[in-house]
Amino acid sequence: MTDDASVVRRRAGAVFRSGAALRAATIEERAQWLAQAATTLAHEVHGKRNELSEATALSVPMVEWAARTTLGTIIEDSMLALARQAQRGSHRMRSPISMLSVILAGNVFTASVRSVIVPLLFGVPVLVKASSTETLFPVMLRDALVQTDSRLGAAMDLVVFAGGDVQCEDALAEPAEAVSVYGSDETVAAIGARLGDTPLIAHGHGVSAAYCGPEALDDAHVGNTIADLSLDICAYDQRGCLSPQVVYVAETVRWSAADFARRLAQEGLGPMSETLPRGRLPLSVGASQAQWRGIAEVEGTLIAGDTYAISVRDTQPMRWSPGFRNVTIAPVPGLDEAATALGQIGSSLKCVGADFASISKLRARLMQSPAPRAYACAIGEMQTPPFDAPADGRPVWHGLLRPSTRATHR
Amino acid sequence: MTTRAVLKDRIEALISSFEAGERVDPAVRDRLIDDLAAWQATRIPEYGRLQRRGAWPPALPTDVFRFRRIAAHPVEEDRRLFRSSGTTSAERSVHAYCDLGLYDFAARVAAQHMLFPDIDDMRLIVLAPHEEDALDSSLEYMLARFAEWFGTGCTWVWRAGKLDLGLLTEELRNAEASGEPVAVLGTSFAFVHAEDGLGDQRFELAPRSRVMQTGGYKGRSREVDREVLLRAISARYGVPSRWIINEFGATELSSQMYETTLREDIDGSVGPRRLWVPPWVRATPVDPDTLQPVEGEAVGILRIDDTANLDSVCCIQTSDLAKRIDDGIAVLGRAPGATPRGCSLAADQALGAL
Repeated sequence: MTDDASVVRRRAGAVFRSGAALRAATIEERAQWLAQAATTLAHEVHGKRNELSEATALSVPMVEWAARTTLGTIIEDSMLALARQAQRGSHRMRSPISMLSVILAGNVFTASVRSVIVPLLFGVPVLVKASSTETLFPVMLRDALVQTDSRLGAAMDLVVFAGGDVQCEDALAEPAEAVSVYGSDETVAAIGARLGDTPLIAHGHGVSAAYCGPEALDDAHVGNTIADLSLDICAYDQRGCLSPQVVYVAETVRWSAADFARRLAQEGLGPMSETLPRGRLPLSVGASQAQWRGIAEVEGTLIAGDTYAISVRDTQPMRWSPGFRNVTIAPVPGLDEAATALGQIGSSLKCVGADFASISKLRARLMQSPAPRAYACAIGEMQTPPFDAPADGRPVWHGLLRPSTRATHR
Repeated sequence: MTTRAVLKDRIEALISSFEAGERVDPAVRDRLIDDLAAWQATRIPEYGRLQRRGAWPPALPTDVFRFRRIAAHPVEEDRRLFRSSGTTSAERSVHAYCDLGLYDFAARVAAQHMLFPDIDDMRLIVLAPHEEDALDSSLEYMLARFAEWFGTGCTWVWRAGKLDLGLLTEELRNAEASGEPVAVLGTSFAFVHAEDGLGDQRFELAPRSRVMQTGGYKGRSREVDREVLLRAISARYGVPSRWIINEFGATELSSQMYETTLREDIDGSVGPRRLWVPPWVRATPVDPDTLQPVEGEAVGILRIDDTANLDSVCCIQTSDLAKRIDDGIAVLGRAPGATPRGCSLAADQALGAL
């Protein structure tokens, strides 16, 4: 079922009007409601795990893991800390914008959580255009908000329409003070071009990568490195922007990249296909996978399991995989060369995971590279960013607050 | 005799026996595929790197033709290079030939069997560029050979990069007036251009006229649903829909597959619209994870083992989605790749890779 422009306009108007009541609540109240809604939603997910698995094409264990790790970050203290952080460094109090419209992509179902919770926390009502292929989770999120508090529930609603429906997109954007768009660069650009003066908060597509330095491969740490990296690769079946497509591995006297890849397959990706199984593979992706794996074999070494594959090859030319647990391991002499390779990805680089010994140096190197907006974190945490993690190099409240002469944010 | 010469003899014998009306034993074809693949693996390092999984030799992905030269002969022996369409070199597959003999033989026998089974030659109207204007196109090469083998006369109505609607109209009116059947051959997007440009004009081509369309759209015209285009062509040219057939070919292949309806109509039989697979070719939908044949009529990705690919690689893994129908194949289109590729697709484009 899709909504027509009149429905979108009506819901947008209702969401806009709900803003006053939402802002009348204190931020402590809103944080409490949101935490409560997250708890409610977590219970609901468990009850509907099979339906969510069907809707998202992720396995049931993966759905449960994704919901648990995402909703687990929605806690009162973190939200209040984020609110304080947002006001820090400003001479004047910042006030929330009147309304945000969000256009979601369909690749990572929990993406709706932060894109809805953060604006609501700051007192910004939200109208969400859900992906036409995945509406179940956003509906459950809305229902959890409604169940928690009527003011909160009224401040978020959903619409569904086909991408590129200009009339619906106009109706969605009309009352909004900003529009947040997740999607391909083409989608973001097309919508941005039609927005006029309304600010666009762009979340274009990109890729992520990881780096494992020599310390990550020593006897004391290699087990954890493999476990952490496997989780980063398998989470969401490598469908999201934060999924590593390539892992740069610093070769040592004891470890070649190929050795590491074999161990990653045997001890990491193989076992994880039992504990967090891959979801069903769409045939269109399967066709790309067959091409990617074949090229990987022609140009390097391919280590393939039932539902994953590792391509061991040089850093250049990079052959981006179709995701779905198809990852490249590229040998590098050390961090400098990895940083150079990462820099070549440029602004498309979203996140870099690194081992504990390398992360500070790598972060510093990224700041000086053509990819300064990439978010650097520890491997094993690439897919579970904290609530206050920056998005696309900007604070998570970017675009939601404007300078104000008086404090409306109580 | 060299191994290549022995293999070439065996391929020619297979095609010849079919042409002579003999039944081709699939086991003979399968043994030939095995032997060809084994020889090619020793001659083409890229192919030699692929690991065998299951009973069949490995299949080389079509994308490899975009990045590497895939040929069993040295570059100085290249006689003809066919390139796929595309705007950058990284988007274009290249298929190098040192000998077009098998290509010609396979193309002639298949077309005779499926497109011209009832007639030795006829007038051709081609909605595609002349071979001399597209020297690296295997389709234009094939159509030029059709003009030589099957044409009493041939007019190319795609000129200077566009469809010459005036010439097309004139040719069709001449064909109507002559009362002689014609074959109208061209790309799907050229037929769409004709639909868009011919307005209300309708033609009543003589009985036994036929239409062969091929290829996708690749952004060169608006995309039209296959059934819709079929009906439009039938109404426009006055050709029964079963005499309008699709040809499936690819730069990476030397043989072609044709839809069955025209041949069946001539034979007096009726069956579902599907692609006929020449007996020297093995076309198999495979599972994308295991690369093994799928069961029954399940959809898989199409693997084609084309024995006429003597000097490149016989076993090819395409990105086309396909399923078996009766004794043939239905190609359901090129996998879009875009929808669920997560964030990588846009980055591919941004970074100019793959």
